[in-house]
Amino acid sequence: MRAGLGVRLFACLVALLFVAPTLIVAATSVTSGSMVTFPPKGFSPRWFQEVLTDPEWLTALGNSVQVGLLAAVLAMAAGTSLAFAAARSRFLPPALVTGLAVLPMTVPLVVAGIGFYLVYVRVGLSGNALSLGIAHAVLGLPFVFVNVLAALTGVDRRVEEAARVSGATETVTLVRITLPLVAPAALVGGVLAFVSSWDEVVVALFLNTPRFRTLPVVMWSQVRSGVEPSISAVATLITLVSLLMAALVLVGPAVVKKVRRRT
Amino acid sequence: MSALSQIPSRASSPGTQASPAAASDGRAGHGGGPGGGRARAGRLPRPDFWSGAGLPGLAFVVAAFVVPMAVVVVKSLTDPSPENYAAIFTSSVYQRSVVDTLEMALTVTVLCLLIGYPYAYAMARSGAAMRTFLMVALMLAFWTSLLVRTYAWQIVLNDTGIVNTALRDWLGLTSAPIHMIRTPFAVYVGMVHVLLPYAVLALFAQLRSIDPDVERAARVMGARPWRVFARVTLPLSLPGAVAGGVLVFVLALGFYITPQLLGGARQVYVGQAIMQQIEQFLKPGVGAAMAVLLFLAVLAVLGLAARFVGLGRILGVGMGRRR
Repeated sequence: MRAGLGVRLFACLVALLFVAPTLIVAATSVTSGSMVTFPPKGFSPRWFQEVLTDPEWLTALGNSVQVGLLAAVLAMAAGTSLAFAAARSRFLPPALVTGLAVLPMTVPLVVAGIGFYLVYVRVGLSGNALSLGIAHAVLGLPFVFVNVLAALTGVDRRVEEAARVSGATETVTLVRITLPLVAPAALVGGVLAFVSSWDEVVVALFLNTPRFRTLPVVMWSQVRSGVEPSISAVATLITLVSLLMAALVLVGPAVVKKVRRRT
Repeated sequence: MSALSQIPSRASSPGTQASPAAASDGRAGHGGGPGGGRARAGRLPRPDFWSGAGLPGLAFVVAAFVVPMAVVVVKSLTDPSPENYAAIFTSSVYQRSVVDTLEMALTVTVLCLLIGYPYAYAMARSGAAMRTFLMVALMLAFWTSLLVRTYAWQIVLNDTGIVNTALRDWLGLTSAPIHMIRTPFAVYVGMVHVLLPYAVLALFAQLRSIDPDVERAARVMGARPWRVFARVTLPLSLPGAVAGGVLVFVLALGFYITPQLLGGARQVYVGQAIMQQIEQFLKPGVGAAMAVLLFLAVLAVLGLAARFVGLGRILGVGMGRRR
């Protein structure tokens, strides 16, 4: 049954409300004035120039990239490992492994943040990319786990058996056959882990120090004292990276498939 | 998102009767059909090999996550004592905060379902162009950072913001700005905007799964469109509403960023109260106790809902995003 005209109009209105705030932020970032106004006064890239030459923002940007990459790599390793155990171990109960792997998704960030804060500071892990990278890896790991688990159920075990019959050891089979088969799924999970780290604020607030702050943390501290075109510029940059990554994950696999089919 | 069909049988298996059979079926399935057990004994990798492959991941989760969570529990009981919990339960400030939080989370959930349902329905029951447009708008919002979107609402709702400027300068309706920022209203607007995509995605998945023939049959039998919706579509879409509603509710319970930026000083929601204990009052023990209670509440709600709709359906909605 087709949706009625009223329902469709309502949906279109909501769709506009979905994107309007982000577009407004983007608009206020290209103003040539020094205040956040809408519509913006004139057009100028000055605030992007200012942000991209400001050492504080640049350091934060570098920190965010480091943390995100570390989180993605660690999440891919740990998530894939857990997916193997959940799908194939006859020793470990799959419910236990799955529970542990998706548990981080259920924990409110404030709660997770306290835990990381209490432990990581105690063991001397704070104020660096390593500590926040590990924390974000935990939060991003379920994405890798779920993707790899799904990919594993689609793996034809006869391929692995063929390798074994041909004399490959279990480890060689794992490295040469199974891992390459699930690598694309793990990579998708890794990108998701990167994005979730890239704009995460709460845990980052717990683990930041004045000398180590990520982009969202600096943005947070500035936003609390008011709105400014430079913050709009940073917000726009953060959003562009997030959306680019999302497009990579959502559209990327379909494109790759199409290209492969053609060649 | 298909990946998540994995979770319900596995994650929610303790406590459901069918689980042991389902779990062992799941594993035997990898052995390659009926002869799987026999084949495994001979040619396939020994089972403990895959347990070994899972060890690094398990060690990582336990060390980096389970231990910190356990430390929160220990901290809540020992810094200085279990009195922390008594302090929470007897404090009128905290009780007020819990009531405010529940009220806020429920309001946001209801709003998300009321707005999300027509949206999901339009997505599920329209042509390709319309569906694509609605999906792209949804995804753009979904993948924009929570902080950026909250900041955006700050720009829009400020005393000198877009809404007030429009009302005063363009329309001439008001002379003094209407205070919207730092009120529960602003919090609701921001939180609904952030959480609505979860509700829509859950409802959309459910609506898409309804066999069109069921509705067609009702039509053929003479039911009017409205009746078809009320008696067929709506009941069949309820699991999606439960999944989306529960997810929105649970996420809203622990929100910190949006209420902190858009809310006023009068309402201190639980997420903010926890941060306050740690940052301002320097009482990590009390903060930890609050955190434990919040987490237990979240788990209780999720556990209860999982009995009806499966955990995978709930957690699967926002795959790739979390707050």
